[in-house]
Amino acid sequence: MTSKPSPAQDNPWQSDNVKPFIRIRNVTKKFGPVAAVDDVSLDIYKGELFCLLGGSGSGKSTLLRMLAGFEEPTAGSIEIDGQDMAHVPAYERPTNMMFQSYALFPHMSVERNVAYGLHRDNVAKGEIRQRVADMLELVQLSGYGRRKPNQLSGGQRQRVALARALIKRPKLLLLDEPLGALDKKLREETQFELVTIQETLGVTFIVVTHDQEEAMTLSTRIGVMNNGKIEQVGEPREIYEFPGNRFVADFIGSVNMFEGIVTETEADFVRIRSKDADCDIYVSHGVGCAPNQKLWYALRPEKMEISRERPDQKENFFEGIVEDIAYMGNQSAYRIRLKSGMVVRLTRTNRDRGEETPITWEETVFVSWGPSAGVVLIA
Amino acid sequence: MQKTGFLMRFITVLGFVFLYAPILSLVIYSFNESRLVTVWGGFSTKWYGELLKDPQILSAAWISLKIAFTSASIALVLGTLTALVLVRFGRFRLRELLNGMITAPLVMPEVITGLSLLLLFVVMESWLGWPSQRGFTTIVIAHTTFCMAFVAVIVESRLSDMDESIEEAAGDLGARPVRVFFDITLPTIAPALVSAWLLAFTLSLDDLVIASFVSGPGSSTLPMVVFSKVRLGVSPDVNALATIMIGAIGLGVVIATTLLLRQEKKAE
Amino acid sequence: MSETAQQDSVRPWRLADWFVRHGRMLVIGLPMLWLGIFFLAPFFVVFKISVSELAIARPPYLPLTSWEDGKLILTLNLGNFQYLIEDSLYVSSYLTSIRIAFFSTIFALLLGYPMAYVIARSTGHRRNILLMLVMLPFWTSFLLRVYAWIGILKANGVINNFLMWTGVIDSPIVMMQTDFATYVGIVYTYLPFMILPLYANLAKLDTTLLEASSDLGARPLTTFLTITLPLSIPGIVAGSMLVFIPAIGEFVVPTLLGGPDTLMIGRVLWSEFFNNRDWPVASAVAMAMLVLLVLPVMWLRRAQSQQEAG
Repeated sequence: MTSKPSPAQDNPWQSDNVKPFIRIRNVTKKFGPVAAVDDVSLDIYKGELFCLLGGSGSGKSTLLRMLAGFEEPTAGSIEIDGQDMAHVPAYERPTNMMFQSYALFPHMSVERNVAYGLHRDNVAKGEIRQRVADMLELVQLSGYGRRKPNQLSGGQRQRVALARALIKRPKLLLLDEPLGALDKKLREETQFELVTIQETLGVTFIVVTHDQEEAMTLSTRIGVMNNGKIEQVGEPREIYEFPGNRFVADFIGSVNMFEGIVTETEADFVRIRSKDADCDIYVSHGVGCAPNQKLWYALRPEKMEISRERPDQKENFFEGIVEDIAYMGNQSAYRIRLKSGMVVRLTRTNRDRGEETPITWEETVFVSWGPSAGVVLIA
Repeated sequence: MQKTGFLMRFITVLGFVFLYAPILSLVIYSFNESRLVTVWGGFSTKWYGELLKDPQILSAAWISLKIAFTSASIALVLGTLTALVLVRFGRFRLRELLNGMITAPLVMPEVITGLSLLLLFVVMESWLGWPSQRGFTTIVIAHTTFCMAFVAVIVESRLSDMDESIEEAAGDLGARPVRVFFDITLPTIAPALVSAWLLAFTLSLDDLVIASFVSGPGSSTLPMVVFSKVRLGVSPDVNALATIMIGAIGLGVVIATTLLLRQEKKAE
Repeated sequence: MSETAQQDSVRPWRLADWFVRHGRMLVIGLPMLWLGIFFLAPFFVVFKISVSELAIARPPYLPLTSWEDGKLILTLNLGNFQYLIEDSLYVSSYLTSIRIAFFSTIFALLLGYPMAYVIARSTGHRRNILLMLVMLPFWTSFLLRVYAWIGILKANGVINNFLMWTGVIDSPIVMMQTDFATYVGIVYTYLPFMILPLYANLAKLDTTLLEASSDLGARPLTTFLTITLPLSIPGIVAGSMLVFIPAIGEFVVPTLLGGPDTLMIGRVLWSEFFNNRDWPVASAVAMAMLVLLVLPVMWLRRAQSQQEAG
């Protein structure tokens, strides 16, 4: 619904003549009466690093497990590289999975863990040795081959799990919360390692995560899941700047949501009256809506200005009282109470040190924003 | 940490005395010279000599060991299969029936198990002509049936503690179900299998009531022989037998513990 | 699309495939068959014989069905059950069994609860050793451990000798062949069954609850009565049922330690079968015993599922 700038890129999902590598068609998975995955259709292209993002119970893991072959879809079909996956057991699929718990075999050494998949394919001994050594080097674990999983740190286990999943050169690698068990610092480093490895090998990755920051950093595209359905698919920037509905806007990042009524709608602008915001909102692009229609205006905290002076504009600003300020180092977050009773969250980068008269508690302030700062949402 | 009261600790000490005093008295009196069991007639090992010369006890012991070994081994296989089915096979028809049949023997009085199996064997004999004679085979069948319940309980709890994703990981890497079982599941539950086998072995070796019902001529087990001896009163050579068994079990526990400790050290 | 053609290509038949497809049935079928034949079927046989008539034959009962004048006659003899109710021996043996099992359970609880509590509150090595000490007797022969009590309890046994030596008593106290000896034997035999589920329950107890309780001003005894005890009820029920159920059917203890009037059902069943060779009555006794156990077994299962749930 939102019009968006579409930079002419040569991404496969923007081209009509590239065939998708993975086709998920109307897939539903029911556990008893409950549909964990509800009529999902999705195309994923070769070489992508696709993130399934959602809260717990959103169905993202179930979808991943259906791709791996641990669950059979109740309805619908899954195609990988042109091959229908119905009734193909996990051990015959061209996919490999990296488990959330890593699922390393506790009674086998790192080498035997990594070599396990090759042994199942009856690869020659010499080749196995070579490939295991190469793979351990790739994940920077050369010299750890003889250790048992319980003699490794969390980060090392994570890399063993990755090596084990990659050694069979799968067409598709499935990663279930790959960084979930690592601490914050290690997670940031590993994110970039993961992207490097993915680019080096050119394998298609599908990553399940509940961490939006992780999804943003890693992926070429994100599919946001909720209640078993895909809410929106898009590049990270697209998902953040142009959320398709209120759920996505709210789930990704933080947002102030104003309910309003359309007062004027034209081809190149829209005017909305919002009781929440206590002002008129002017949007500098057209929206497919009718006059008097109810809709929502989503405004991210960093897209607003705060000042003591009344801004020089007719719309897109309101007056409020600073209720709370949280100093967070690189930025400060303000909670501002409007006359309507709504509390707006706003962030501001701390550019200067030792501001002389910083805005403080209980002060009356004006908050303003530009005509293209927010997103109009119809659903 | 909350401290435990004096009364609690006193009762605990009393409890352990209660558990071990009879065992201790058996060991002490097994070295008693006097036939009058409770009068101390000096240190002697003569009852051990007499025990080892008693052909009835020796042959019963041999039969019991053979029965215990066989039924513990069959029970291990059947009990493990049952546990596997209950934990890993999801829902299927008759699952509740299987679950009921495997847990019921745990709470079934021995007299009923013994009686019902004997009656079954009698009926089968008149219908099928088998088993034509009761003895080793019928005792093994009876012991397997109640031991497999204990095996299933132990293996079931180990299997449900096990992280299922490591089995899925093996499947994902190309191992077929049977292969997954031997490569991943079996090594993981191996310690539970060892203790389950040992428990089954002990239960079989110890059983008097069920064996009494289903045994036949010439297949008296050790508990049956001991029971008929002690029914008539205390006999010193039974003390010697008890001491030998306690010694063997004590030794087994010591060996098992050191092996376990060594393994733990290796893992560190 | 061109790929669709490939999917229809027939794969060669392999033994491994057959196992994958049918292995599941095989694995379910084996234990199912064994338990069906050797556990479930026997109960139908017992039921059948409990409603048949005693005969001097081999086997010593009459068939239920007969063929006379072209008519199939089914004879259900409920006399065995009637006999159980009318003969005071059986009724009193049931009551004795319940009484002995009930009080043994109470004694085992009074002794076992403190033991389980102390073990659960001890730490590390000490806890493991104490646990092992509880389980160790279980691995030694049950029969021999019951037998050991004869030497301790009898007229010239350890206790009487000791008391007479110290001069506390002049003549031996009669302890063997009494209900007292039966209680001792049953509590002794089944004490580990009481301790282990209680221990499992008490070890799981979150100790911060106890700290919170004392922080809010409760004395240790109050904390125990208001926090620990109520939370350990599933453990108490499970342990109690694990003592009560086998005690009901106990045969060895009352036979070796009890007197001639310590009539418990297990012993009655045994003598009906082995001494009187009355298979139908023995079967009827078994059926009646099963009925008696239904309620305790249901309690046990509920307590166990509660334990697992948390």
